[in-house]
Amino acid sequence: MSENLEQSFVKQLRENQNIIHKICRLYTSDGDAHKDLFQEITIQLWKAFPKFRGDAKFSTWAYRVALNTAITLYRKSTRSISTVEYEKHSFFISQEEYNSEEEDQLKLMYQAVHQLNDIEKALIFMYLEDKDYTEIAETLGISEVNARVKMNRIKGKLKKILNP
Amino acid sequence: MMEELDLLKKDWKKSENSFQQISEVDIYKMIHKKSSSIVKWILIISILEVLLWTAISVFYNSDDYLIKTHNEYLIKYFKYLTYFNYGIIALFIYMFYKNYKSISTITSTKQLMKDILKTRKTVQYYVWYNLGMMAISMVIGFVLVFSVDPKLHQLISKSNALLLMILFCVVCIALFVGLFWLFYRLIYGILLKRLHRNYSELKKIDL
Repeated sequence: MSENLEQSFVKQLRENQNIIHKICRLYTSDGDAHKDLFQEITIQLWKAFPKFRGDAKFSTWAYRVALNTAITLYRKSTRSISTVEYEKHSFFISQEEYNSEEEDQLKLMYQAVHQLNDIEKALIFMYLEDKDYTEIAETLGISEVNARVKMNRIKGKLKKILNP
Repeated sequence: MMEELDLLKKDWKKSENSFQQISEVDIYKMIHKKSSSIVKWILIISILEVLLWTAISVFYNSDDYLIKTHNEYLIKYFKYLTYFNYGIIALFIYMFYKNYKSISTITSTKQLMKDILKTRKTVQYYVWYNLGMMAISMVIGFVLVFSVDPKLHQLISKSNALLLMILFCVVCIALFVGLFWLFYRLIYGILLKRLHRNYSELKKIDL
């Protein structure tokens, strides 16, 4: 039974791993930290998996656990903890198909997003993922109206960072 | 601005498939690694704190002292106090366990933070309770010493000496509490700084 559970978890996680990569990309700034956070999110997902009911989508459920881990549970560590080794990857913007002006702009945008605080990053993340305000509000535990207001403020803040 | 955000969104979606994929074997390895989350740290520190304080309150025995000072009649009362203390410890451990179990990563971020802080608070209350009991014991101890020992009794009848004694006690207690405060600030300050910051940020949104 538990082996079946493990198998089903590993398979679903592998299929949905880009969700976690995207969150790691937002909340960490180098490859080691990315790996570290990825591993912690995986552990937390596995711990919560017995409570996962099939009626929800795995990805929707994983969003919440992963964000909660990144914002609340994860402890940025300077010590080198043992993470599972896997090939380092580039998680920076893809270079093709953009003209250089757009590229520069994108670089600035990503830098600006990295300057936001943890909560603001979560909101921007869900915006980029096309989540609606009902889900954003539910995930963070705030009201829908205030989620909208906050999102507009973040957009304003980004504008300020980009055009000081 | 909207244009720039749209550009970001476009790139975000495009880079979705740029991540190096992790194999099932590696995921298997990961789920057998140990978590290093703050909840785990809080659990470890809490257990150590409870063990320490329970040990102090259980092994601290005032009977010998009471017999030596010919206050045997008080032993009975101290026994009741001990039973009361056991009850409090049991109640506390139950509360801590309940709060700890309620921490879940599938609730909302705000609720999760609330639950973690509540669990943390339970331990804090327990420590305050123990400090309080210690202070009460100290006061009772002082009163006993001064009322029983004739030499000391004589000493405090001089008003200056009494003032000095009180001052001495206050300084002792202040030092003690100060050290504790520092210790707490250090440990939990480091551990919970980010959580407190994010929690107040979330609360601010709903103001």
